[in-house]
Amino acid sequence: MPTNTSSGPGAPAARADRPAGRTRRRPRTRRALITATGAVVGLVFVVPLLWVLTNSLRPSADTFRFLSPVGWETFLTLTPALDNYTALVGTGLGRGILNSLLISAVTVVVGLVLCATAAFGLSALRFRGQGAVFAVIVVSFLIPFDAIAIPLADLFRDWNLQNTFTGLILPGLGNGMAIFMLRNFFLAVPEELVEAGRLDGLSWWGVFWRIYLPLSRPALMGAGLMLFLFQWQAYVWPLLMGTDAEHVVGPVALANMQGQFSVDYGLMFAGSVVLILVPLVVILSLQKYFIQSVSTSGLK
Amino acid sequence: MSGPSTRAGDGGRAVSARPRPGHYRRPWWRGTAAVALAFLLPSLVALTLLRLLPGATALWESLHHTSLLSGRSFVGLGNYLDLFANADFRGAVAVTLLFTLVVNPLQVAVSVALAVLYTRRRMAGSKVWRALVILPIATPPAVSAVVWSVIFRPEGGLANALLAVVGLPPQGFLTSPDQALASIIVLLSWIGVGYWMLFLIAGINDIPAELYEAAELDGASPVRAFLNVTLPMLRRPLSFVLVAATVSNLLVFAPVQILTGGGPEGSTNLLMYDIYSRAYSLGDMGRAQAEVVVLVVITLVIVAVQFRMLRSED
Repeated sequence: MPTNTSSGPGAPAARADRPAGRTRRRPRTRRALITATGAVVGLVFVVPLLWVLTNSLRPSADTFRFLSPVGWETFLTLTPALDNYTALVGTGLGRGILNSLLISAVTVVVGLVLCATAAFGLSALRFRGQGAVFAVIVVSFLIPFDAIAIPLADLFRDWNLQNTFTGLILPGLGNGMAIFMLRNFFLAVPEELVEAGRLDGLSWWGVFWRIYLPLSRPALMGAGLMLFLFQWQAYVWPLLMGTDAEHVVGPVALANMQGQFSVDYGLMFAGSVVLILVPLVVILSLQKYFIQSVSTSGLK
Repeated sequence: MSGPSTRAGDGGRAVSARPRPGHYRRPWWRGTAAVALAFLLPSLVALTLLRLLPGATALWESLHHTSLLSGRSFVGLGNYLDLFANADFRGAVAVTLLFTLVVNPLQVAVSVALAVLYTRRRMAGSKVWRALVILPIATPPAVSAVVWSVIFRPEGGLANALLAVVGLPPQGFLTSPDQALASIIVLLSWIGVGYWMLFLIAGINDIPAELYEAAELDGASPVRAFLNVTLPMLRRPLSFVLVAATVSNLLVFAPVQILTGGGPEGSTNLLMYDIYSRAYSLGDMGRAQAEVVVLVVITLVIVAVQFRMLRSED
C-alpha cells in the first residue's frame, strides 16, 4: 500500500517522523509553501490596522504623504508621536469614547445581574409554565435587535428617554442570548449541591450567590463579554436616540467626523485605534471565555 | 393557583409532609414558582418591553396609516401592498438579494479555507498568522466603515496606491455604481471572515485524528481527505456559520449609512438602510414599519430553517 501514495505528496511523512533522504525535501518545501501562504494571508488582514495605527502616530499632514509610491514608510514610522491621542481629550470624539466606556460598563454590571438571575430562575428552580417563559426568552433573542430599533426608538420617544444615558443603556440589558447561555451552564450544576445548600439553611438567593455564581465564572465572563460587545459596537441605536454632543457615543462621533468638510485624519485614526483597541484587549484577555461562549452559544 | 390540589406550584413549603403509602417524598424544588418568578421578573419585563413590544408595535403600526389631518386609520395590508409596488423598495430587495447571494457564500468559503489552512500542523507559526486574521474582528462595524472610507478614497487612498504597485489604474470604489457594493463586502468580510473562522477552527479541532490517519492509510490525497472527512464532519458548525452570517449580513447598516447613503444610483441600498431612510428621510412610518415586519419575518424564517436542519441531524 505505501507504494501508491505518490499521488499524495508528503502525506506519509507527517507521521513517520523522519523518513530517509529522498522523500525529505518535498515535505520541507511544502512546509515552506504553507507557512508562506499563512503569513501572507495574515499580513493582508492586518495591513489596514497597521496603516491606521501608523497614521495615528504621525501628524495629519503626513497621512497621505507616503502613498506614491508605496514603501516601508507607508506602514511604519520612525518618529511616532502621541500628539493625536492627547488631542482626543476634550474633543467630541474623546467625549464619545468615554461615554461608550460608561455605557458598556454599566450594561455589563447590571446586565449580568439581570441575565444571571433569570438563568437561575430557569435552571435551578422548576415550576409550571417554565416552558412558556423559556419560549419568551428564545423568541426575544431570535428577533434581531437592529431590525426593531426603529419601532423601539418611537416608544423611547414617547417615554422621554431620548438623549439620556438610560435610553442608551436599556436595550443592552435585556439579552436573551446571554440568559440562554448562562442557563445552559447552570443546568450542569449538580442538584445535590443545591439540596445540600438548602438543607444547610441557605435561602434561594444564597444558593444563587454562594453556589451558582462562584461555579460559573467562565460562563459569566462569556456573557459579560457578549453584553460588552453589544454596547461597544452599537451604532444604529445610538444614532436613532438622536444623541446630542453630551450623550454621543464613540462610533457615532467618529462617523460624524468622516462626513465633515475638512477632516483631521490624525485625530480620526487615533480615535479609531482606541475604539478597536479597547474591545481587542478585552477579547484577548478573556480569549478562553470568548471562544467558549462563542462555541457554546453557537453549536449547542 | 392556590386551589385544593397539593400539586399547585406555589403552595409554599409548609404543606404537611404526611407519609404516603408509596413514601413519595416531596421533591425539594416543588413550590418554588414564586421564587422563580422573582428571579425572572426583571429580565422578563426588560425583554418584553425592549424586544417583544417594539415587534408588536411594528406589526400594529404597519396595519395603520397615520396622517396629520385624519389621524390614524386602519388600512389592513395596504402598507404592504404599497411597499411591494414601490420601485425603491423593490430595488432595495434586489440589492439585498444580490448582496446576500454574494457575501455569504464568499465569507463562508474564505473562512473554511482559512480554517483549514491555519489548522495544518505543518505550518510554522500558525498561531501567530491566525491571530493576525482574527485581530480585525474587534473592530466595530462603524469604525471599519470609517477606516475603509479613507483606504478607498479614489484620490490618494491606500487601495489605489497598492493597485499602482501592481500597475493597475485607480478605481472609483465607493463612488462607482459597479464597485460600491463590492467595496462594502470587502470591509464587512475583513471583520467577518476571522470571526466565522473561529467557529470552524473549533469544529476542525473536534474531528478525531484517527479519521485522517485512516484516510492517509487509504492513500487519500489532502483534497480527498478534505472532501470526505473535513467537510462532512464540519456540517454542524458550517450550517450554523452560514445561517449566522446570513442573519447578520441582512442587518448591515452602518457602512451604508456612513459611506454611500444607499448610492451611487441605489446600488448599495440594503434593506436596513431603506427602512431607515423611509422612516426618517421620507417620514413614511407606516410603510417603514411594514418593512421592519418583512425583515423580521425573513430573519425568523432563516433561523427556523436552521433549527429544522440541526434537529433532523440529531
